Amino acid sequence: MTQTLIDVRLTVNGEPVERAVEPRRSLVDFLRHDLGLTGTHVGCEQGVCGMCTVLLDGEPIKSCIMLAVQADGAEITTIEALNGEELHPAQRAFKEAHGLQCGYCTPAFILTSVALRERGLDIPREELKEELAGVLCRCTGYQNILTAVETYLAADD
Amino acid sequence: MTDVVSIPETEIAPGRVGGRMERVEDERLVRGLGRYVDDLDPPRVVHVAFARCPYPHARIASIDASQARAIEGVLEVLLPDDVLGRTGPISILRPIPEAPRVMPYALPREIALYEGQPVVSVCATSRAIAEDAVAALDIDYEPLPHLSDVEKALAEDAPILHPELGTNLLVQNPRGDGNPEAGLAESEVVVDDRFRINRVSGLPMETRAILASYVPGVRELEVVASTQAPHLFRKQLSDSLRFPEADIRVTTHDCGGAFGLKLGIFAEDVLVCLHAMDLGRPAKWVEDRMEFFRGATQARESLHVARMGASSDGTILAYTNHYYVDLGAHNSPMGSPMLSSLMFQGPYSFTHGYVERNVVLTNKVPVGAYRGYGQPEGCFVRELLLDRIARKLRIDPLEIRRRNFIRPDQMPWQTPGGAKYDSGDYQRCMEMAAETIGYGEARERQRALRDEGRYLGIGLACYVEMTGYPGSKFLGKHGAEYGAHEGVVVRANRSGGVDVYTGVPPIGQSTETAFTQVAATVIGLDAAKVRVIAGDTQGTPVNTGSFASRTLIAGSGAIERAGREIRDKALRVAAFMLDVPVDGLELADSVISSVDDPEISVSFADVAINAFYGHRLPEGELPGLEATAYYDPISSAFSYGTAAALVEVDPETGEFSLDRFLFVHDCGRQVNPMTVEGQLHGGIAQALGAALFEELVYDGDSGQLINGSMIDYFMPTTADLPKIELDHTEVLSPVTPMGIRGIGESGTIPPGAAVANALCDALAPFEVDINRLPLTAEYVWRLVAESRAHA
Repeated sequence: MTQTLIDVRLTVNGEPVERAVEPRRSLVDFLRHDLGLTGTHVGCEQGVCGMCTVLLDGEPIKSCIMLAVQADGAEITTIEALNGEELHPAQRAFKEAHGLQCGYCTPAFILTSVALRERGLDIPREELKEELAGVLCRCTGYQNILTAVETYLAADD
Repeated sequence: MTDVVSIPETEIAPGRVGGRMERVEDERLVRGLGRYVDDLDPPRVVHVAFARCPYPHARIASIDASQARAIEGVLEVLLPDDVLGRTGPISILRPIPEAPRVMPYALPREIALYEGQPVVSVCATSRAIAEDAVAALDIDYEPLPHLSDVEKALAEDAPILHPELGTNLLVQNPRGDGNPEAGLAESEVVVDDRFRINRVSGLPMETRAILASYVPGVRELEVVASTQAPHLFRKQLSDSLRFPEADIRVTTHDCGGAFGLKLGIFAEDVLVCLHAMDLGRPAKWVEDRMEFFRGATQARESLHVARMGASSDGTILAYTNHYYVDLGAHNSPMGSPMLSSLMFQGPYSFTHGYVERNVVLTNKVPVGAYRGYGQPEGCFVRELLLDRIARKLRIDPLEIRRRNFIRPDQMPWQTPGGAKYDSGDYQRCMEMAAETIGYGEARERQRALRDEGRYLGIGLACYVEMTGYPGSKFLGKHGAEYGAHEGVVVRANRSGGVDVYTGVPPIGQSTETAFTQVAATVIGLDAAKVRVIAGDTQGTPVNTGSFASRTLIAGSGAIERAGREIRDKALRVAAFMLDVPVDGLELADSVISSVDDPEISVSFADVAINAFYGHRLPEGELPGLEATAYYDPISSAFSYGTAAALVEVDPETGEFSLDRFLFVHDCGRQVNPMTVEGQLHGGIAQALGAALFEELVYDGDSGQLINGSMIDYFMPTTADLPKIELDHTEVLSPVTPMGIRGIGESGTIPPGAAVANALCDALAPFEVDINRLPLTAEYVWRLVAESRAHA
């Protein structure tokens, strides 16, 4: 049942984007399949696993339970914003700490870490565990993820 | 036999075998540039969705697809009759010995056997439209009596799920040696119980996914799948589609976790290929998480009826275990797990043993392989019974294990279960664990705290793990449709390095990195000069895949052989180019030079280019610099170790904290200690998830899954797990290349048992006996409450 299209205007990784989308199009499907930004993943479409985490106006959100039309006017950051020839410090921290295995959850953890660093707080490990609990990982047991995030948060600019 | 390698890790360069090399996979993965199936959107791609049976057992009386077909954008609707005539059943890669092969078709003929079974397949221009069409189907189901557990399935009046079998007991496989009944009769103390192991999910973060493209006329079927064994996937697709394997290519670029679950094809894979072939357009299906919980293979659920007897000094005299695997509705390509039987002895030296696997059909999602493949279940039962004997005899759990371990000088050890342990010092791992956890002090603290009304517990669990297969001939005897070997092509390139072609796909287990290290070390190259091309059936030698803790054992054997062949040829060609004898040359850091005079040298790149041109070669030497090699293991290698847990329990609420958890293990030579630790962390986390939180709960009345969503199925988050402390010994296996033992599954085996033993230890004043998983606070509270009621 094809639906009426609705116009959305937003900023994605610094670029202005204007598209007409079905009202039922989720933000994550919009990013992945309309814009080709496939670094953001999908795990449950229920807002639990956090694979689809992106930054909306700098805050981590789950883009599977937000509609693309709801992101009208917002500024979205995905993992692709960090990508260059050299690794971003957060990406490097994950690589050095062996904070990933299959890599499916990694962009979500990295973006969450970037948002944490923006807050500029000194977060002890026990609190960090709570901060990161919105993204699941089945491979690593989280231990090296915590080390990676701590290293990244503690690094000098 | 028990040489402990003591080369300090820091002396090994990261890119060599034994070094902590950062992973080559990570450059793409941390950038979000991995290529998982759903990342590919080829032009004109169409999407598939399935109608799934909502009942655990039902007759499909009628299907009316007219409204669904009328929806704009719906391209094809496949009903059972459309599929059954043109496909074969889904083959079983690893049949259960002596069991009839209960093989499903992609869609059921008349009877659906579990909630979630695909019944109709719809293909449309978008997934949303395909789902709209599924909702518009009019399917008339007549629910039938269902069987939600093994006891119901084995009851005399139970309906028979597969009438041609005449029973719901698919097979009974006995194994054993000695005279267990005599051993038990002779025992001073005998303990017995019925242990219930929970049904869990491997739960990879990426669900199942497939993209199939078909070129009409050319008759090529190109498949991108999230699988851990592309070559076996290809073989099974060929079987089921009745389509020549030569015309099928299967690629796994990246796989977002597998853990045994993505081993072999599923009904959905066959259906997606049919749509692609019928429509001549790429067809994609990415499972959603609600489908996953009702369609992807599940794991572990079994009932173990076990007895253990010991003499007054704690020596185990006999152990028997009759267990009942809840297989679900039919065979999966790798179900049921086999290693509860083979590994039932663990590390202890008793000789009277009997184990009997009963595989039972029920109306649930089929059980498949899951990391550990029966070993966590077997370990749980054995280690809990041993602790019960220790408590009865008032022998410390540490001491009773000392009295029972198989000693290094008794190796190789033939078990009553049929395994042949290659080598190892089992006690040493336990003593290290005890020392690190401060066993003696913990006992003193436990006594002191009990006077304050606090309940501290220390738990141990030891395991021996079969890693790798004892060769392809062994698998052949057991009817497996694959071999134990790995094959690789190693080809020099013009950039001064080599390309390693392997069918082993990237599933998170760091095989690209480990294979890089092995190739770099064997040939004498910088690791940066090795490129691993993985997971594509086109251009890679026939191979087996990533499972059974076998990949690095078999893969490194093949790389070693191919690498040596290339190295030897490079040296011969270099000797000719330099006009020196070959004996005095060495290849290191990508340069071939004279041992006596390093000035006499030529780069590996120049040798390779010359070999490609064939311009200056010794007489009789052919151009090219590449090798294909296979390695077939001669025996399984047995990893081993001990987990130790420290808990504190509140008997009033059943709540407990896991204050320390440590794991001491031996996996022989560690090709990359960093990724070995990663494998253990992950396996342990999955084991603690299954031990503490996870359980797929089926309602006994409706037969339906109650908690089939991420919200209701409690997989651990960062906040739920303790710090994992690791240590290891490094006893090289005498039966594998470089002394490697597998490590991918070890972490899953003893954690549940260690935590359960710690809880029983803490609650010893209440004399509680644990006999199930998961270990929820409610369960612990009930144990204490029951104990108090009987006091």
